[in-house]
Amino acid sequence: MLEIKNLKKNFGKKKVLKGINLTIEKGELVGIIGPSGCGKSTFLRSINYLEKPSFGHILLDGIEIRDNDKLRLMRRRIGMVFQQFNLFSNMNVLDNIIFAPVTLNIMSKESAIKKAREMLKKINLLDKEKFYPNELSGGQKQRVAIIRTLLMEPEIILFDEPTSALDPEMIGEVTNLMREIAKTKMTMIIVSHEMHFIKNFCTRVLFMDDGKIIEDGSSKEIFNHPKDERLKTFLSKIKNI
Amino acid sequence: MKKRIILLISLLCFLITGCNEEKEKLVLATEASFAPFEYYQENNIVGVDIDIAREIAKELGMELEIKDVYFDSIINEVKTGKSDIGAAGISYTEERSREVNFTINYMDAKQVLVIRKNSNIKKIDDLFKKKIAVQLGTVADDYLTSNYPNIEIIREKKFLAAIEDLIDYKVDGVLMDEIPAKELLNDNLMILDEPLVVDHYGMVISKNNQELLDVCNKVITRLKEEGKIDEMLLSHMGITTKKDNKSLYDKFYDSIIYDSRYIFILEGLRNTLIIAIGAVILGVIIGTTMAIIRNVHDTKGKFKILNYLARTYITVIRGTPSILQLMIIYYVIFKTSNVSIILVGILSFGINSGAYVAEIVRGGINSVSEGQKEAGFALGLSYLQVMKHIVIPNALRNILPALGNEFITLVKETSVGAYIGIVELTKASDIIASRTYDYFFPLMIIALIYLCITLVLTKIFAKIEKRLNHVRN
Ligand SMILES: Nc1ncnc2c1ncn2[C@@H]1O[C@H](COP(=O)(O)OP(=O)(O)OP(=O)(O)O)[C@@H](O)[C@H]1O
Ligand SMILES: [Mg+2]
Repeated sequence: MLEIKNLKKNFGKKKVLKGINLTIEKGELVGIIGPSGCGKSTFLRSINYLEKPSFGHILLDGIEIRDNDKLRLMRRRIGMVFQQFNLFSNMNVLDNIIFAPVTLNIMSKESAIKKAREMLKKINLLDKEKFYPNELSGGQKQRVAIIRTLLMEPEIILFDEPTSALDPEMIGEVTNLMREIAKTKMTMIIVSHEMHFIKNFCTRVLFMDDGKIIEDGSSKEIFNHPKDERLKTFLSKIKNI
Repeated sequence: MKKRIILLISLLCFLITGCNEEKEKLVLATEASFAPFEYYQENNIVGVDIDIAREIAKELGMELEIKDVYFDSIINEVKTGKSDIGAAGISYTEERSREVNFTINYMDAKQVLVIRKNSNIKKIDDLFKKKIAVQLGTVADDYLTSNYPNIEIIREKKFLAAIEDLIDYKVDGVLMDEIPAKELLNDNLMILDEPLVVDHYGMVISKNNQELLDVCNKVITRLKEEGKIDEMLLSHMGITTKKDNKSLYDKFYDSIIYDSRYIFILEGLRNTLIIAIGAVILGVIIGTTMAIIRNVHDTKGKFKILNYLARTYITVIRGTPSILQLMIIYYVIFKTSNVSIILVGILSFGINSGAYVAEIVRGGINSVSEGQKEAGFALGLSYLQVMKHIVIPNALRNILPALGNEFITLVKETSVGAYIGIVELTKASDIIASRTYDYFFPLMIIALIYLCITLVLTKIFAKIEKRLNHVRN
């Protein structure tokens, strides 16, 4: 269970997150939507302390995530997938995937390689294991990045616009993989502008605006019966496109 | 690992102390391009001054060690105790005698004007408004400066360069000591009859060493009485190869093969490479450490004092010429210790290069995308793990071209090592030219060697770059 209590974040004088309260249960598929600049990424990055909260608390199963000696252990439990993939460009596909679990002694190199290969096989990238990131397409990179996160066996995975840097024909590859992961009862929090995907995939959707959560409900409630005016405007703008 | 450290330390000790000595050494500083007083013959430094110094060493029961440095470094060598005696046809002057003690004079030397045979200078009075070349810091230099305000003085580092200027019509005359002047006369050069001034050669000794001065004076007095000094002078006259109209092949032969002169070039090459490689390794270690200190400070706010020190180091080193750093390290920091000059070279150039490498590496670290670092942190990796396995390898790839440039610059920079007496490539060409009176071949060959080193380095770096960029064939 992930609890967020009165989370605030300022960049200098600028208030970006203005008090967020939220509880996410295990296995929930949470989508976060909202206009550009409203603080979605900042919120997501605060959860694993890539951004240091200015105020408030974040707890995973009752343990606070903050800058102490437990931080790295907590981060292992929370995976993160980035818009720009962020594969390590000095390592090939296989090394990208096994580097962290092997370095952190979570598993032996042999079993890490074995697991990585199983996963690469599932997404048809086994033949690319010796390739370097600059030799892969965007969709391939993002799927490798997701597998890199999966190998750490996290309890929650955060996705910050995982498909928005991809060509349309590659979006499916990534969302299909996310669907596969959802079947394992993984808790997933996804920031995305792919409204169709959020609508069909997520069990719960949050609408953020101006650093706050404005509406929080099931996918149906948010998309079919929006209550707040700002959400209505937001959705109508998207439909117009 | 331990074994390697022990090996390294013993190597360092060896370098610092030099080979273990049996006999006590009397160290003589000279500039061996002043025949017949000191010059190279078959890779040994010989000459009148050397003969006298040997007599002194014999008197003391010591072994003579000769150090070949630039003329204007000799007084410093003696003052700082790096050498015991300085002898290079050094004329007595008030100014010098304030810095060091002079022995009694062992030779009178006329300062004469060397001119081209077709020159329109016929007597001293014709010098008015002419260009005259001298060797920097010599008596000739002092004399002209204080007595002939209307002469334009060209100060060359070596009198051979002054002679080159004369041959090339860049100057109208060269004022220098008579005896070496006689050694280099050829079909086109002559000495003006009138001597300008007569001065007296003495050897120089530290003011703190009265004992040595007494022994030197005793030996010189004896040699003078026995007429030995004139004998020595005779035995060293007229043996230099003269320039005149030699064929290109003869010049090449004289420069490289005669007297095994290529050995200087090989020795120079060896020293240049040892210093450059040592300095590169040291520079990379220092530079990377500095860059990491600065990065930790900038990103995490730690290491305030270390960061301040690192910044000061970088500013000071980048803000001063490397030759000054070399001289300061040698003459000030290692003033009293008997450290090998090669090691001083490695240290000095390494410290110099470290400052540049630090800034290159810092730029490289900053060039690695935040995203990759964040991905590392998000996986639970520590700052050090992210640095070591992700940031540094990527930074290295980004900075390789700049690093390659720095290494190439460093190789060429080592040529100033000659100032503290290191026989590196440039000095090797100087030594050969001082014997042949011809700069062309030695300089060309040295230039070619530098070029080859640079080309090889460029090739190697291109290869590494290709590797790191994972270019597949
Ligand atoms: N490091 C930072 N320093 C200062 N301001 C920042 C920083 N990061 C984000 N901001 C500001 O915080 C606000 C929220 O940014 P954030 O990236 O969280 O928005 P977002 O909702 O993810 O937008 P988008 O949909 O465009 O990705 C923006 O106004 C942004 O300019
Ligand atoms: Mg964003």
